[in-house]
Amino acid sequence: MSASKFVTLGDAVLDEHFPLVDLALRRGRHIDRDDAEWFGFLRDAEDVLEPFYRRYGAELVYRADGYYYLLPSGDKIAKRQLGVAEMLVGQALTLLYLDPANVEQGGRVTREQLLAHLATVMGTDALIVALNPKRRKYDERVAQETVRARVADALRRLATLGFVEALGGEDFKLRPALMRFAEPVRASADSTEALSRLVASGEVAFAPAQTEASDQPEGDEAEERRDEPEPTNAEATAALDTSDFEDFGFEDVEAGTELKETDAAGVLE
Amino acid sequence: MNDRAEEPSRLIENLAGRAISLELGSLDLCFVAALRLRLRTGEATSFSEHELVDAFRDVCALTQPEATGVARRATAAIQRLRDQRLLSRVDGAGVVRSGAYALTRLATSIVDFYLEEEALTGESLTLLLRTLHASLLELREQARSATTPRECAERVVGPLRVTVRDLVDGIERRQRGLDLQQERFQQEIGSLLAADWFDAVARCQDLLETTTTTLRELNDVLLRDAHTLVGLLEDIRELAHERGAIEVDDACRRLSEQLDRIAAWGSARQHTWSEYYQYVHRYLRDVVRLDPTRALTERLRAELGGKAGRSYSLVIAAQPPLVVPRDVTPPRERPPLERPRAEREKPLEEAPPDERAEALTASVQAVLAGGARTLSSVTGAVVSPLPEAERFSTAGRVAEIAARLAKAQSARERPWTRADDGIWIEEWSLTPTANEA
Repeated sequence: MSASKFVTLGDAVLDEHFPLVDLALRRGRHIDRDDAEWFGFLRDAEDVLEPFYRRYGAELVYRADGYYYLLPSGDKIAKRQLGVAEMLVGQALTLLYLDPANVEQGGRVTREQLLAHLATVMGTDALIVALNPKRRKYDERVAQETVRARVADALRRLATLGFVEALGGEDFKLRPALMRFAEPVRASADSTEALSRLVASGEVAFAPAQTEASDQPEGDEAEERRDEPEPTNAEATAALDTSDFEDFGFEDVEAGTELKETDAAGVLE
Repeated sequence: MNDRAEEPSRLIENLAGRAISLELGSLDLCFVAALRLRLRTGEATSFSEHELVDAFRDVCALTQPEATGVARRATAAIQRLRDQRLLSRVDGAGVVRSGAYALTRLATSIVDFYLEEEALTGESLTLLLRTLHASLLELREQARSATTPRECAERVVGPLRVTVRDLVDGIERRQRGLDLQQERFQQEIGSLLAADWFDAVARCQDLLETTTTTLRELNDVLLRDAHTLVGLLEDIRELAHERGAIEVDDACRRLSEQLDRIAAWGSARQHTWSEYYQYVHRYLRDVVRLDPTRALTERLRAELGGKAGRSYSLVIAAQPPLVVPRDVTPPRERPPLERPRAEREKPLEEAPPDERAEALTASVQAVLAGGARTLSSVTGAVVSPLPEAERFSTAGRVAEIAARLAKAQSARERPWTRADDGIWIEEWSLTPTANEA
């Protein structure tokens, strides 16, 4: 750790970067070396900011991969869990980040590359099912369009959180914070122990057990609500709408899942 | 040449109109390359038909050893090159004897691109810039010693357009070579990591360091020298201007722009490479070194592919934006509606009296007293001194005053007569009344 430039919390708070960095951290932003000024400020101020955020029941985390983020553990700072699409897209982006083929472009990928990668790793049908939950009957063209829209939306949100950087148009730059998605499998192939540890530290949360489909609202309105989780505080977390996570179950959707044949109108029998 | 350079759209239209195209296969390119290499090593400057076929045969033996009908294919290849103006006949003997052929400038340029590795290095750039500096110093002296515009133009413009331009072009060409080299290095780093992963780290770092050092050197040299060179060009331009050689302006301006472009290239490439350098270093440190067996990728792939255990999701802070109430501004009280207050009576103004009617009456009276006895003579006498625009309207008033001051009579058929230019009136005879008389 570098010698702190700021001796007291007051010095750090008076710094010109504090207001924006503080707001960004509280909104879930991950700050890495590409945010040169903010990162430099955090490097210099982490010694005084760590106890400051601890009073709010949150931890200012620095990962060896080179990024900071705020992890709320109490009820004073609101928190939320990433949605299904955000998790899937985040993990696919992490795979792209690890892939040496993208080093040539300096970690720049396009949305098409991402979609192709998702479809390759998960399988097209499983991807459609994962991002079109609750629909027993669907038109293939509409379902694919929904997948593209969900992925684009997830990318936009991940860019806001500092996992990727939108370069304009279809291009994105991968950022080190993506390595958070690899944390559960980092230590060993068996992620159970790592997951338990991460859940205990509040880094991740298990998706709630699957509920009956009939209990959930149907249609686009329900799906919209599912993919846009609202910020919650600790009390509210206990009462989370379980529909947010009920379809986020990789064990539920095998890569080789075969969909039923559609009739001429594209509707499942 | 300059005029043509200023009209790129016309040039492009011209090229399109001539349907310019090049179609070169790998074999043709290798054939041209073989000829180029023979020219470099031998003393001859052209090839006989026999030598061309021999060269093609050698290329075929290397690239397509199984090929048959080599002589026939050589004939076709030579014809293709001639059709595309890559090979020209230089002997002029026609059908008298078999010809001698040489590569054209187009052919040598194409093949040199593949044969020569002319990337910019610190040494080559320093050497080129030093030569450029010496040339510009010499030109400045020439411009200073010239006495007439023609002398100045002859001594300066020619060298500027040929010698100095060639040197600057040489730098730009090598810059493009370095761009290509960087691109190759980026591909090579990706390939090395894909093939050897952890074992490729040292080699990747070497490639990164080499290019970084080269770019830093180049940028330092460019930053140091470009300003001096542009200053020298400005001196030459001013000296030539003082001596009336205006054509030097254009040549100096073009060279200055080219030098600015070269300097901008240096800083832009260094910036881009710096970003790439940081990314790859971070990748080597955080990804490759921490995952030497690439197990992490496989585990994550299994996770995403749905082969892992219970699903989870990351927790992030999500504090909603602070609620900042708007500043309260009290509503402005609207005044009641009321009629605008204004003076209804306008104040009286003093104005000079209008005495034109009296003057006209006096004038008619004077003319009648003078003995005029017809309306035309009275009208003509009264309106002729007036401005032309007032004459017509005044004629009517004259008739009215004359009828009032004298007894007017007319024949049953009233004759029309001319009273003034453009004024025709019915003629009356006027008899002064007793009072008037």
